[in-house]
Amino acid sequence: MTSIEGKDRAMDRCRGISRRSFLVDTGLGFTGLALGAMLEREGMARITTASDAPGGGGAETRRPRAKSVIWIFLCGGVSHVESFDPKPELNRFAGKSIEATPYADAVNPERLKNVVSPNPAHGGRKVLMGLNTAVRRHGQSGLEVGDWWKHVGAHADRLAVVRSLWTTDNDHGAQLQFHTGRHVREGAHPTIGSWASYGLGTLNQDLPEYVVLGEPTGDCCGGSWTHGASYLGPEHAGVRLNVGSKEPLPFVQPPSGRLSPQEQIEEFGLLGRLNRLSGIDYPDDPTLRARIKSYELAFGMQTSVPEALGLERETQATRRLYGLDRDSTKSFGTLCLSARRLVERGVRFVQVFHGGGGGGAWDAHSGIKANHSTLAEQVDLPIAGLLQDLVQRGLLDETIVVWGTEFGRSPGAQGDGRDHHPQGFCAWLAGGGIKGGVVHGATDEIGFHAVEDRHYVTDIHATVLDRLGLDPAAMQIPGRRRLDLDIGSPIQQILA
Amino acid sequence: MPSRWPSILLVGLLGVSLQPVWARPAHRRALADYLGARLETKLNDCRTCHLPAEPGSDPAVDDRPHNPFGKRLAAVRGELRASGKKSGLIDRIEAVADEDSDGDGFSNLLELVSGRHPGDPADRPDPMRRQQDLARLEAFRAGRVPSDWSPFEPVERPIPPAVRDSAWIRNPIDRFIAADRETKGISPRPEADRATLLRRVSLDLTGLPPTPRQLHDFLEDRSPDAYERVVERLLASPQYGERWGRHWMDVWRYSDWAGWGMQVRDSQPHIWHWRDWIVESLNEDKGYDRMIVEMLAGDEVDPGNPKTLRATGYLARNYKLLSREKWMQDTVDHTAMAFLGITVGCAKCHDHMYDPISQVDYYRLRAVFTPHQVRIDRTPGEVDTSKDGIPVAYDADLNAPTYLFLRGDDRNPAKEALAPGVPEFLGGTFRVEPVGLPLEASAPQTRAYVANDDVDASRRSVQVAREKMIRADASLALSLPTPLGPIAHATAPSMERHLTEVDAHRAARAEVAVAESKLDSLVSVLVVERLINEGRRESLEADDAARRTVAAQRRLAVAEAAKRSLDAELARRRPTPGGRAASDLAHAKAERERIDAERRLAEPADTKFTPRPFPSYPPTSTGRRLALARWVVERRNPLTARVAVNHIWMRHFGQALVPSVFDFGRNGRRPTHPALLDWLADEFAGRGWSMKALHRLIVTSATYRQSSTPESRALAVDPENTSYWRFAPRRLEAEAVRDGLLFIGGALDAAMGGPEVDHSLGERVPRRSLYFRHAAEKQMTFLTLFDAASVTECYERRPSVLPQQALALANSDLSLRMAESVVRDATAPGRSDPSAFVIEAFERVLGRSPTEDERRACVEYLERRRVQSSPEDRSFESLVHVLFNHHEFVTIR
Repeated sequence: MTSIEGKDRAMDRCRGISRRSFLVDTGLGFTGLALGAMLEREGMARITTASDAPGGGGAETRRPRAKSVIWIFLCGGVSHVESFDPKPELNRFAGKSIEATPYADAVNPERLKNVVSPNPAHGGRKVLMGLNTAVRRHGQSGLEVGDWWKHVGAHADRLAVVRSLWTTDNDHGAQLQFHTGRHVREGAHPTIGSWASYGLGTLNQDLPEYVVLGEPTGDCCGGSWTHGASYLGPEHAGVRLNVGSKEPLPFVQPPSGRLSPQEQIEEFGLLGRLNRLSGIDYPDDPTLRARIKSYELAFGMQTSVPEALGLERETQATRRLYGLDRDSTKSFGTLCLSARRLVERGVRFVQVFHGGGGGGAWDAHSGIKANHSTLAEQVDLPIAGLLQDLVQRGLLDETIVVWGTEFGRSPGAQGDGRDHHPQGFCAWLAGGGIKGGVVHGATDEIGFHAVEDRHYVTDIHATVLDRLGLDPAAMQIPGRRRLDLDIGSPIQQILA
Repeated sequence: MPSRWPSILLVGLLGVSLQPVWARPAHRRALADYLGARLETKLNDCRTCHLPAEPGSDPAVDDRPHNPFGKRLAAVRGELRASGKKSGLIDRIEAVADEDSDGDGFSNLLELVSGRHPGDPADRPDPMRRQQDLARLEAFRAGRVPSDWSPFEPVERPIPPAVRDSAWIRNPIDRFIAADRETKGISPRPEADRATLLRRVSLDLTGLPPTPRQLHDFLEDRSPDAYERVVERLLASPQYGERWGRHWMDVWRYSDWAGWGMQVRDSQPHIWHWRDWIVESLNEDKGYDRMIVEMLAGDEVDPGNPKTLRATGYLARNYKLLSREKWMQDTVDHTAMAFLGITVGCAKCHDHMYDPISQVDYYRLRAVFTPHQVRIDRTPGEVDTSKDGIPVAYDADLNAPTYLFLRGDDRNPAKEALAPGVPEFLGGTFRVEPVGLPLEASAPQTRAYVANDDVDASRRSVQVAREKMIRADASLALSLPTPLGPIAHATAPSMERHLTEVDAHRAARAEVAVAESKLDSLVSVLVVERLINEGRRESLEADDAARRTVAAQRRLAVAEAAKRSLDAELARRRPTPGGRAASDLAHAKAERERIDAERRLAEPADTKFTPRPFPSYPPTSTGRRLALARWVVERRNPLTARVAVNHIWMRHFGQALVPSVFDFGRNGRRPTHPALLDWLADEFAGRGWSMKALHRLIVTSATYRQSSTPESRALAVDPENTSYWRFAPRRLEAEAVRDGLLFIGGALDAAMGGPEVDHSLGERVPRRSLYFRHAAEKQMTFLTLFDAASVTECYERRPSVLPQQALALANSDLSLRMAESVVRDATAPGRSDPSAFVIEAFERVLGRSPTEDERRACVEYLERRRVQSSPEDRSFESLVHVLFNHHEFVTIR
């Protein structure tokens, strides 16, 4: 059952229908309906934000503070101690076993239990490794950031860094967990993007509500589930757009030379006429209405998707801002710039993957210095450019940017790399309804355990949904029980 | 998805978003089931039975005190139990229906049906609306389905009820449907017109539309049983098995293997053998009971038969390289949901919240599967199991213990192992008897075809080696440096080349010797094995054969040692990492081994031959899975037949009798027609679990043959068609959309079975869709856009309407090519008669002739497009292309 169809059916019941009303409804012509559909769905979204709802208690907190989300996810596990939660103590005790430092309790076996069926190959890295990058303070807030992230660091006063995240999967299935709140063994569950799509509907019927850019998580670690909708249905699943490809969306254009736009308009014209003729006997059929609409939307998507991804119209200055002029940053810069263009056009949730496939590019079990400096160079400038660009266009007030990864990396060395580290890691948010220049929560002095204001990954989801004007706890489907842990709670301390 | 779902969904979004409190889902469900469409939004809420939350308090409902109505419901449970009555929530609501719990002067039921809180004295019906409220109450009482359906009790065959309009009845199904419908005062729709009916039943039974020829034959066939004969033709066609095979592949979770690179992580390679078994079993109308037995325990019930063993792909499909835990969990959970319609999965961590399934029950059920593993058996004609083979389940570790995991955490097993068992509340007998396995099951190499294939393969190797030697002979002759002069005059390079050829020749000879000895040795050992398997181990003949085998194996050892020695000798000529000394040493060692082998050959042969190196498996199986299967298919099992007929009904009508098809428990939904469900279940099992008999019964009913067009009065009373006053139109499944394009375009390849086709070839390879790879991350895009089955779980397809589907039909190469193909094959007199073409196009694509309006619109279109088009006139193709995008093309009406 689609939302288009479902909502239509609900309306039909209120309205009562007849053959005549069917013809009137569907007779608006080829383009008239898309607008109508859009307005209906917008209405739906706004009612759910409860500012219109009676009673009004708590309505204040439900007022939407943002319309869209750009969710940047770095696959493989970014070192938290060398990015947004730097730990100078590691330099002091570099080469020493944790047990020989004042922080020996970090490896107390009792405190290491909360990892679900740990992969025995990972963990137990006790000899501390010093930082592989310098650390500097940024902005008025004085946020400490590893130098690999200096461009993002320059936006310190816009960021709310959460330094006390934890998860339970000690392997890259944690990528899925970061998006659904469930361990990979529990299979597919709706992702944060699908809940946003489900809760809000769209602002632009010519584009998908939930878009996925970049190379997503590999099959090993959740695969397409990391942008799926599970029981919410395929209409809420992330739609992968292949930026830079001739076919950014499956079948987005006819094979070249086979069908001109004019021919297609002719065909769709006849199609609309025939569908309406054969629909006369089925005035109640919501799927027929939905199908007629779907052709109108499809027609729009054929041009609007390529248009949205057409970066050639951006100025040189903008392109430079995202690093499109440099080999190292061009690829990710293209994704970030596309993400901005998509939210600008009303896409609700843009999930931007970096380093997807396999365990993930950031999985620096060895040579972390080379690995992280190279990868950070690819993304640091484009993300900073994205923030800058959103600010200068006045879009950051209505867009939330999230930076996340599945887990951190171990304070202890694994050769010249760092191992997986689910016990404590960080993420940051910026934009609509999010405080800037805030650090919330903390890991211990060596970055091992999240100790202060601990947050499970779904608290990030709840925070985002809350800022979108949705009540995270209301995101439920009868018969599909969600646990409190699946829903999470908004992180109040970072809400503006 | 249940059709009531969207409205509940809206309630969730609109009504409750302010105070996110939810009563236990089962309680809400019970209330929703009880009141049905009369459930007011505000009552679908915890506050119907609980006091409102204090601001800022914990929203957990379980901790919230009851209001007077809730208190009364809680109290009456004990009273009902004491008098031996059922005490489910619905029973309790019924028991207190006429009481007035909140003392406001209105009965609980009156308040419920008029949308007031029966536990809140301040919220009471408006006295001014008393007439309307009483009318609602009466209507509600008249329409109530009796709540005495007990899915966990054995089926008792109901008597088809009497109805007023007996002329409408074609078979007993219609009696149940009509009796219920008549209480609502709705009339049935007339029978669908013949073209619609033919297309409906053709798509429904075979997944393919009728041809124009079949359409005309049917339209012209005025005999009274014309329709029944069409049904017989369709049920007898092999496409029936493909269509319904795909349905059951959904329920049984068919998945081709998936993994990381070439590493198999999920399911098994060659699992398509199971798919072929499904299709074949359906086509031969194998009983559903037998199908279950073969899938769960084919290796125990018919262990020597590779054809049956294919069925255990059902189990092999659950294989998970990375987690035996998840593998077992999937096996247990889905077996229970697919065959029994119960959700035992909850009981992995705690006793089931709704149904009488304890955590111990869960692990007892799991113990049925604990011993089993999967392997790949060889299949006739292929010695390499990486190329082909049959994935089969077998008991590998007969004594593997099963422990209950505390809170479902596999790190915390309980102390004592559990014996296998089944949930007691379902009754029946579960008796485990170990199954002795024939040799061809525990030692698959003893199957005749395995030996024959090995001998053939060995002969082929000899052949290949000999051919290679002949080529080496020829090159050697050609390389003689100076055929006419003394060797001393040869130039150094030509001498070098000659020596290389000499080496190659020697190597080829050595290989021939090895291949021949292998064949000889294999043939000898097979003779001994045969004699032993025939029980003649002690015979003179066996003794003699064993000695000959030993001799052959020694000759093989010599040939292999000689080859190794030669290899080592030749290696000395090449620079090696260890230097000359190392290769000298290696050669000396190989040479010593060769001499040893020859010495052994010279010794008198004894009888201690080496058997063929094959894995061997336990000679018995625990019989646990067979016991489970037999318990599942016992006639007395209350669920098996009910669940199956519900699945079949849903796929005929697009809506299930029990909407929660995998949950017949208390957390599931009640059937719309409990007596019909039970009658069908009894009929199904009683007719030897024949699916074809059930299909026949359903599609020949008057209920099925109704028109799908709505009628305003019926629509007003029953918009969801729960009383089946019409045949509800529904969207075609993904596979039928794609197959239909190919079929109508005359391109569909009717070949059946075989290895899965690469999923990326869906637009180019014209096989039916079920034959394409279907695995995690490996699904055909075209099919996924039309809501193809999820690989991990799909008890019910959820058809959506998305713009991406429009793009797939409007822009795919497939639909454009098929449109061209239809024009090419058209029999209409061509471009001179557009009207005739329009009629033919409609018949082929939509299975009916156009109405006058449609014909005119299309002819106009053709004429307009022809004027506009270049000499390369594509107007006819364009018209067909439009029809492929027509709503009717993707709809069963």
